[in-house]
Amino acid sequence: MTTGALLPVFALMTSLTAAVIIFTLPEQKHQLRTAVNLIAAVLKLLLVGLMIWGVFQGREYGISFPMIPGVEFVLRADALAMLFAGLSASWWLLTTVYAVGYLEDSPNRSRFFGFFSLCVASTMGIALAGNLFTFFLFYEMLTLSTYPLVVHRGTQQALRAGRTYIIYTLTGGAVLLFGIAMLHGFSGDLPFRPGGHFADMSPDLQAPLTLVFVILIAGLGVKAAIVPLHGWLPTAMVAPAPVSALLHAVAVVKAGAFGIVRVVFEIYGLETANALGLLWGLAAIAAFTIIYGSARALSQSDLKRRLAFSTVSQVSYIILGLCLAGPVGVAGGLVHLVHQGVMKITLFFCAGNYAETLGIHRIDELDGAGRRMPGTSVAFTLAAFGMIGTPPLAGFITKWTMGTGALAAGMDWVIAVLVISSLLNAAYFLPVLNRIWFREQKNAWPEERQWGRFETSAWLLWPPLITAGFLVLAGLLASASFSPLGWVELIVAREVDL
Amino acid sequence: MTLWLMAGLLFTPLAWAVLTLLAGFRRGRVVTWLGIAIQVLVSLALWAVVVRDGGFQYPLGGWQAPLGIELRVDGLAVTFVLLTALVAAASGLHAGFYLDPDKQWHRYFWPLFWFLWAGLNVVWLGNDLFNLYVGLELISLSAVGLVALGGQSEALRAALRYLMAALLGSLAYLLGVALFYGEFGSLSLSGIASALGQDSSGDGTGFALVLMLFGLALKTALFPMHRWLPPAHGIARSPVSALLSALVVKGSFYIAARLWLELGAPLGSLALAQLLGLLGGMAVFWGGWQALRQRKLKQVVAYSSVAQIGYLFLLFPLTWNTTEAAALQAQQAMTLQVISHALAKAAMFLSAGNLIMSVGSNRVNALAGVSHFLPFSLFSFGLAGVSLMGLPPTGGFAAKWLFLQASLATGQWWWLVVLLGGGLLSAAYVFRVYRASFVEDSNIDHFFHPARRLEIIPMILALLSLGLGLMAEPVLSVMALTFANGEGT
Amino acid sequence: MIASPLMLMTVILPLASLFLAIRPQWQTIYRYSLPLLPLPAILAGLMAELHHWLELPWLLIGGLWGLDELRQTFLLLTSVLWATAGIFAVGYLETRKLRPFCLFWALTLTGNLGLIISVDLASFYSFFALMTFAAYGLVVHERTDEANRAGRVYLAMAVAGEMALLTGLLMAAHQAGSTLLTELPGAIAESDRSGMIIALLVSGFGVKAGLPFLHFWLPLAHPVAPTPASAVLSGAMIKAGLLGWLVTLPFGELSLPAWSNTLVVLGAIGALGGAALGLKQVRPKTVLAYSSISQMGLITLMVGAAMANMEQAATLFSVIALYALHHGLAKGCLFLSTAVELPTQRRFRWTLWLLIALPGFSLAGLPFTSGAAAKLAMKAELKLEQYDFAVAEYLPLIMTAGAVATMLLIWRFIWTLHQSARRGHNHPFKWLGWVAATVCSLVGFWFLPGARSEAGHSWFVLTPGELWSLCWPIVVATAIAAVGWFTRGRNGSDLG
Repeated sequence: MTTGALLPVFALMTSLTAAVIIFTLPEQKHQLRTAVNLIAAVLKLLLVGLMIWGVFQGREYGISFPMIPGVEFVLRADALAMLFAGLSASWWLLTTVYAVGYLEDSPNRSRFFGFFSLCVASTMGIALAGNLFTFFLFYEMLTLSTYPLVVHRGTQQALRAGRTYIIYTLTGGAVLLFGIAMLHGFSGDLPFRPGGHFADMSPDLQAPLTLVFVILIAGLGVKAAIVPLHGWLPTAMVAPAPVSALLHAVAVVKAGAFGIVRVVFEIYGLETANALGLLWGLAAIAAFTIIYGSARALSQSDLKRRLAFSTVSQVSYIILGLCLAGPVGVAGGLVHLVHQGVMKITLFFCAGNYAETLGIHRIDELDGAGRRMPGTSVAFTLAAFGMIGTPPLAGFITKWTMGTGALAAGMDWVIAVLVISSLLNAAYFLPVLNRIWFREQKNAWPEERQWGRFETSAWLLWPPLITAGFLVLAGLLASASFSPLGWVELIVAREVDL
Repeated sequence: MTLWLMAGLLFTPLAWAVLTLLAGFRRGRVVTWLGIAIQVLVSLALWAVVVRDGGFQYPLGGWQAPLGIELRVDGLAVTFVLLTALVAAASGLHAGFYLDPDKQWHRYFWPLFWFLWAGLNVVWLGNDLFNLYVGLELISLSAVGLVALGGQSEALRAALRYLMAALLGSLAYLLGVALFYGEFGSLSLSGIASALGQDSSGDGTGFALVLMLFGLALKTALFPMHRWLPPAHGIARSPVSALLSALVVKGSFYIAARLWLELGAPLGSLALAQLLGLLGGMAVFWGGWQALRQRKLKQVVAYSSVAQIGYLFLLFPLTWNTTEAAALQAQQAMTLQVISHALAKAAMFLSAGNLIMSVGSNRVNALAGVSHFLPFSLFSFGLAGVSLMGLPPTGGFAAKWLFLQASLATGQWWWLVVLLGGGLLSAAYVFRVYRASFVEDSNIDHFFHPARRLEIIPMILALLSLGLGLMAEPVLSVMALTFANGEGT
Repeated sequence: MIASPLMLMTVILPLASLFLAIRPQWQTIYRYSLPLLPLPAILAGLMAELHHWLELPWLLIGGLWGLDELRQTFLLLTSVLWATAGIFAVGYLETRKLRPFCLFWALTLTGNLGLIISVDLASFYSFFALMTFAAYGLVVHERTDEANRAGRVYLAMAVAGEMALLTGLLMAAHQAGSTLLTELPGAIAESDRSGMIIALLVSGFGVKAGLPFLHFWLPLAHPVAPTPASAVLSGAMIKAGLLGWLVTLPFGELSLPAWSNTLVVLGAIGALGGAALGLKQVRPKTVLAYSSISQMGLITLMVGAAMANMEQAATLFSVIALYALHHGLAKGCLFLSTAVELPTQRRFRWTLWLLIALPGFSLAGLPFTSGAAAKLAMKAELKLEQYDFAVAEYLPLIMTAGAVATMLLIWRFIWTLHQSARRGHNHPFKWLGWVAATVCSLVGFWFLPGARSEAGHSWFVLTPGELWSLCWPIVVATAIAAVGWFTRGRNGSDLG
């Protein structure tokens, strides 16, 4: 066992240990719990940073041991893993800070933060999983650890949402398991490998491989909220804001998308998948999801619900990017993994701030909120423009890269999808911004809380400001080597190798 | 060394049963602690011996096979011995604090507990049909007694019903044994197997096998012969339920599985194998569906046992006339399912007992707001539930995975429906309990905190069942010794 | 070597000023700093070396900033206009909603200046979008229903335009394999889908440039904005669309008579139709907005001509720049004058009216004004014999009609302004801003590099023929206006 083998394990253990400690802490030990949370989050960020540096230098970290006969438990830190791990580690820190502020004085915090840490541990596991089986292990662990977070409020609405969530995700998990088992049945244990395993398959494998692909995508598509498997996502928006941030930006939805990335890249291989004609179908579904999600978002009057439908739409960008099957398009899709995360987490933080500080849930209550909460509103505005794809923000980089990739792949219709989606995004975000900044406050805020001279608690204000800053920088400095785009290009160079 | 171990394993429980019969509940408890310590150590030692040297046949008292009692000590048997030691110890320790010492009839818990343990060890290690029968009877009778400890008239009714089923099962089994003896003049399982291998006659013995399997299935509560189980397991005190669900039903199943693996190839048929599998599959769905509909917490758990037992019966179709690799996978799956279900179900019943104790009601809906007060027990319950759902990384998942692989390898894809659908159904009833506990709008203020030690025991069991999936490979490697040896002899 | 810091400061200074918006107490400082924000840009326009490229490889998808002759003219026009409008704004603004105004002012300014100095596509598009969206804040500043409606239309069309641009730029950049604007024209020329790309770019930038049928937002949005904002909207920002055309479309690479025809027809519709609609307006700022459409129509004629003739493109560019410079400064003055309160003394009032009218007459091409220079240069370049596309023969006719229409519109403006003008006291900064703008338009123009570049010909020395060609449309239009005024009665409610 070298340090190389242990780094991923440590990264996984930080949040697991935190979860165990937090579960055993009494409810009233607020400060101790916060300290444990933050220390674990910072530690994890450092470990992930260390691994990113190592991977950048060309090192690989990993560990594996047999688990069930014929199946290995594999943790491996490659460039793709680090993209997701880096994303989740950094946003975990911020979400933790935010959650500490958000849940101040609310009951059951021990339970909340315990599962919260478990959830992040699962995400880290999903990132570092070195084969489909290990991936599935953490994927299901994620399902279970998010359920208590979704139903955290314990209201009837929350419980219903939790039920919908669990029905969707567990069924998706079962389908995924079925697919994995089938794949395992005819080709044994498949580690994730750049280029995939089926580069030169025999022709009689084509039909079963196609079938398995469909099954795998159907299983993963539930978490990735591909239409028509997206039903749980808008319902789950009743969860507390930090949970929504986690669901939409860091963990759950991303896990699905990341799984699809792994399957397409490293199980099937981009070329094989393309040769089997699978990417066309996937692209069509993704395109439909993009448009459908945006169109549904238009008619939502609840802020978080609108954001949720926006997620449905945005996550499929990642998938659509993969389907472009060229280095540029793939880079566009992958970089959106980070970009969508940072934009959506900002939006949900802000929505949470409005709800927590002013009691605002519906969009028509937002009139004049910009004057009352300028910091939050600036962050919200930046993220919304990012979603629309306005330069120089992160969303633009995605759209531009994907657009170029689409042209390179000769899939011009993707441009039309991008444009229609951007128009719809503008149509549902700009009116919100208009209300925030350009309308006068009409009625008293539904439930206002005063926080002294600041617009809201510092715990709540800083996380969205930081993420908003990041989304500006991710766009502005996109060509720098340390930017998400730079890292994604490194991945594409290493992994796809087209 | 081995002599002492075997003696310890078989006679300590009997001796302790007598000892505790003489003592009251409180003194019996102290005595039992000592006994548990001895049993656990002995089991561990035996396990270590087998891991080091491999399995062996042990003639009890030095007499060889046809005359004396021969014990089969192989990897599988010691694993189950160890499992029994673990679960029984946990249940015993839990019961010591859980049961009310002031109720007169609770003093009989200890002797019954020890008889049960003795019977279980006999079953795991026995290698001849009659010994197995004795062990089986010992188990059944003490189990009936334990159910009756519940005290109310309802408990007595359930116990009586259980007794009838158990007796009928025993009878059928005994009849089968008699037929075998008449045909081969031997009661040794390996003797019969080798006799069958030599001449392919023995036409009547196919019926004998069916009879025995019927009796054992009745005792294992295979659908549709499961009706006795939920009342009995539901009404018994929680540590008792844990013992019954985790170990007792596994005893009869273990015999059935051994019979099948050794005699199934010559005597069984495709129809029989598929029928047993089908009944198992129906048990999975019916048990799950019923569990979903129960109002009482322990009934949910009890019906869940019916469903979980159903999985075990997939062993029969998956090992009959299939490739060696697939059969091996099915056997591994079965053993993992036995272990993980034993651990998880014991954890579940024990934590359910804690939950019921704290809210003072056994209704599922009474759990509203419990997550606020009792996250620890609820967490154990939840972890055990994860294993029942068959989600990774639990032992339940490992078992399910191997069953899936075996089904795919043998082309019997229809079992996938059972495996995946059953998992979802179990998720549904487990989450129903979670959901109830997360309800916030209750205003219970009367709430009893059980002692920490009561909460820790199920947690350990649940964690073990969780970790089993990660450790499946090493655990199975010990058991692999079985099949090499077992089939060879 | 001063170019790089100046260009960086051009963008950074207005952006940095946003910090002044953090505290309400700082808003007075912010108000007085408005005129200073474009200073680095003015300095860059005057002093920076041309063709000095500032490479910013980490920026977006690779950044490159710099100035050439065209950009220099546009930068000077834009920065000078913003500076004078900024001075005016100091006097014009009320304390209420001061902070939001300053904020959006600075953001729009950043976008407007930044897009001019951007040579790479991503920065250009970023600044363009920044300007577009930030200007919304200026348009709806008054928060009246009318302003909100105008803002909505503006935003809807702007977003649609942005999307057309994005698509067009994407396709062009893909073809070019580069993100430099300088590479685009050649690539578009070679592309087998050049028609589509050109259509997207023409319409995308056309929204901003007030191209007919894409102009609907313009007469709504320009008048409702606060006056200094109207001035920069109509004077400077409208030129951003023009600049977009000039730097992306394949001028000088191949001749596209079909596009010339289309653009000339659109230009004619804009020039004459804009004027016709403008004559029906009763509010001075709306009249001016339609006048902008009309003037941009005239410029579109030249753009169309440049599409047809590869050789002429370069010289036409300088004329277009000259015209843009002239129109921007003059239109800025005219807009500012709508908010000037008339002095009570009769003598001063007459002087004031003269100064208000002069930039207007300049638009119509009054000799010895910037308009005369622009018109003559335009006429010289649009000589018939150089062009052979279908509608080329109508060019002189359109130009003449345009000149008459322009003058009519100016009279209409003066009339409506006269109807609505109030007498009262002006804030000193308002005076200062307006005077500065007028001086820039009437005098400063001649010293700006864009005007100087045509030094081979002295614009003050006019031949009689030229004088006549400039004067007769003015005379005709004045006569028509007078007739109309007398026949319709003096109420002037419906001159057109």
